[in-house]
Amino acid sequence: MTTPRLVVLCVEDEPDVRDAIVRDLAPFEPTVVTETAESADDAREAIDEIKASGDRLGLVLADHLLPGTYGVDFLVELHDDPVNSRTKKVLLTGEAGLDVTIKAINRADLDRYIAKPWQPDDLRGIVKHLLTDFVVEHVDDVLPYLTALDSGRLLEVHGTRAADR
Amino acid sequence: MSEEQQRTLLQRLGLPLALVAFVLPIVLQPDGLDAAGHRMLGIFLAAIVLWITEAVPLYATAVLIIFGEILFISEATVLPLPEGYEAPPIADFYAALANPVLMLFLGGFFLAEGAAKYRLDRNLARVLLRPFGTSPSGIMLGLMLITAVLSMFMSNTATAATMTAVVLSVTATLPPGDRLRTSLALSIPIAANVGGIATPVGTPPNAIALAGLTEQGISISFLEWMLATLPFVILILVAGWWLLGRLHRSDTKELKLQMEGEFDRSRPAMLFYGVFAATIALWLTEPLHGVPATVVGFLPVVVLLSTQVFGVSELQNVRWDVLWLVGGGIALATGMGAAGVDEWLVGLVAWEGLPATLIVVLLAVIALALSTTISNSATANLLVPIGLTLAMSDAVAVDPLLAGIIIAVGCSLAMALPISTPPNAIAYATGAVRTKDLAVVGLLVGGIGLVLFLAVAPLWWNLLGVAGM
Repeated sequence: MTTPRLVVLCVEDEPDVRDAIVRDLAPFEPTVVTETAESADDAREAIDEIKASGDRLGLVLADHLLPGTYGVDFLVELHDDPVNSRTKKVLLTGEAGLDVTIKAINRADLDRYIAKPWQPDDLRGIVKHLLTDFVVEHVDDVLPYLTALDSGRLLEVHGTRAADR
Repeated sequence: MSEEQQRTLLQRLGLPLALVAFVLPIVLQPDGLDAAGHRMLGIFLAAIVLWITEAVPLYATAVLIIFGEILFISEATVLPLPEGYEAPPIADFYAALANPVLMLFLGGFFLAEGAAKYRLDRNLARVLLRPFGTSPSGIMLGLMLITAVLSMFMSNTATAATMTAVVLSVTATLPPGDRLRTSLALSIPIAANVGGIATPVGTPPNAIALAGLTEQGISISFLEWMLATLPFVILILVAGWWLLGRLHRSDTKELKLQMEGEFDRSRPAMLFYGVFAATIALWLTEPLHGVPATVVGFLPVVVLLSTQVFGVSELQNVRWDVLWLVGGGIALATGMGAAGVDEWLVGLVAWEGLPATLIVVLLAVIALALSTTISNSATANLLVPIGLTLAMSDAVAVDPLLAGIIIAVGCSLAMALPISTPPNAIAYATGAVRTKDLAVVGLLVGGIGLVLFLAVAPLWWNLLGVAGM
C-alpha cells in the first residue's frame, strides 16, 4: 500500500515566482509535493489530475491577479466545491485590495494571507502548520507525514488515536 | 475523517475464506464433536482467518464471534442443538464484554486518559530524564526506563508516541546521518514493547492470559505478575540498551535536553494524581489488603466519574475497540470450552511423548512468530484457550500459569517488523529507522528475551512459588 502524497497547488502566472515557491517548498518532498498552475483553468485541470492519481490536495497557494478567473474567485469556487472545501487556502499576493481580501476571508474561509515578497522560512512555516492541520483533521493515519510536517503535534494525535493491538 | 482505505488482496479474500472455514466443519462433521462442536469449530476457524487477514477490523471479528456463539450454540440458538448438550445462556457470551479483567483494563485506560489529559506522562518524562545526564548512552538508558515504566500502566502505543516526540526534539540538532538518531528512535519501541510485559494491565495479551487463567480457576495477583516478569523485563531492557549502543556508531558526545513544561496543579489534576497513585499502590499491595486487582481497577473509574474530574468526553475516549477485542477472545474460550472444541483440538496431537519444556518452548515460539505479523491480541486470543487447555490436560505436565504467561510474553517480544507492533510503526515513521535496523534489533532483543523467559524465568518462578516447570 503506497501512501497518498500531499499536494500543495501553487496558482501563479509569473514563471519566476512559481519557480521560487517550488524551490522554497522542496524540503517537504517526497511526502509533500508542489504542483503548479498558471491560471484557474490550469488549476482545475491539475486538481482533476491530483484526484486521479490518488494524492490529496492539502493546500492551495493562489495569487490574486491571474489571467481569466481572479485568484480569490477561484478560492471561493474551491470552498463551495464539497470535494475540495477541506483544502487549506492561502492568498500569496501583492495586489489584493481590502474588498477582495474580505471576500476571501468570508466566502473562501481563507486560512492565511501572505504578502509578496515573502521570506522562505515564513512560507515554509505557514505551509507546515496548515498541512499539519489538514492531516490532523482529515487523515486517519498521520504517521506517514511525521518527517515532513510538525512531528510533535502529529505524534500527540497519533497517541490518542492508535492503541495496542 | 472519511478515507477510502486501500484493501490488500488478503483482506479481500478474508471474508469468503472465513465463510468457507466456518462451513467446512459443519459439512465435514469431524468425529469426536457433536453438532455444537462442529459449529464452534467453524467459528474458531473463521476467527483465525479473520484475525489473520483483517478482512474486517479486529474488534468486528470479536463481536462476530459472540454473535455466532449466541446464534449457533447458546440457548437462543437458531438451529437445533443435539440432545445432551447443555446450551449456555446468552448471558454467558455477552458477559465476556464485562469480564472482571476488562474492568481491570478499563481502570488502566482511565489512568492513561488522565495522564494524557493532565500531561502527567510528559511531565514525568521531563523530570525523570534529568538525572540521566547529557551523554547519549545515559539519555538512552533514561528514555528506555521511563518508556518501560509508563508502558506498564499506559498503552505501549500512547507511551511510544509521547516518548518518540521527546526523542525527535533531542535529536533535532544532530548532524545529518548521525546514527544516534536510529539508536534513540529504536530504543522507544523496544522499551515500550518490553515494558508492557511487566503488569497485567501493560498490554492486551496479558489481560487475555489473565482472563484465561481465571477461567480455569488459577489466580495470579497483580504483584505476583510483576514479581514474575519485572526482573526479566529489566534484564531485557539493559541488554537492549547495550546492543543499541554498539550497533549504531555515533561521534556525538553530548545531547541537549530541551523539555519545558510544568505540572498541572489545578484541583482536578491534583485529584487525578491522587487517584493514580492510590490505584497503583493498591494494585501493588494486594497481599496486605486482599482486594483483588480487578476490583481496585474499578476504583479510578468510580472516583473520577463521581468527582466529575472525568465526564462524558473522557468516557467516550475509552478504547472500547481494545476492550471488545479482548472480550472476543474471552468469548471464544468460553464457547470452545462449552462445546468441547478446545479439548478436541488438543486431543488431535499425541502430546504424551513430548517433554513439558518442549511444549512451553513451542507455545512461546508460535506466539512470537504469529504476532510478528498479526495482532498481538489476536494471537493471544487464539493461543490462550488452546495452550491452557493443553496445560490443564493430563497428557502433559505443563504448569498452566507458565503456559499463560509465556504466551503473553511471546506476543510482546515480537518486534522484528514495522508492522509487528504500533510502537514499531512509530519508530519507522520517524525516518531514522530502516526496516533492516528494526529487524536486527527486534530479532536480537526478542531472542534474548525469549531465552531469558524460557531458560531462567521458570527457575525464578519456582523460587517465588508462582509457577514452575
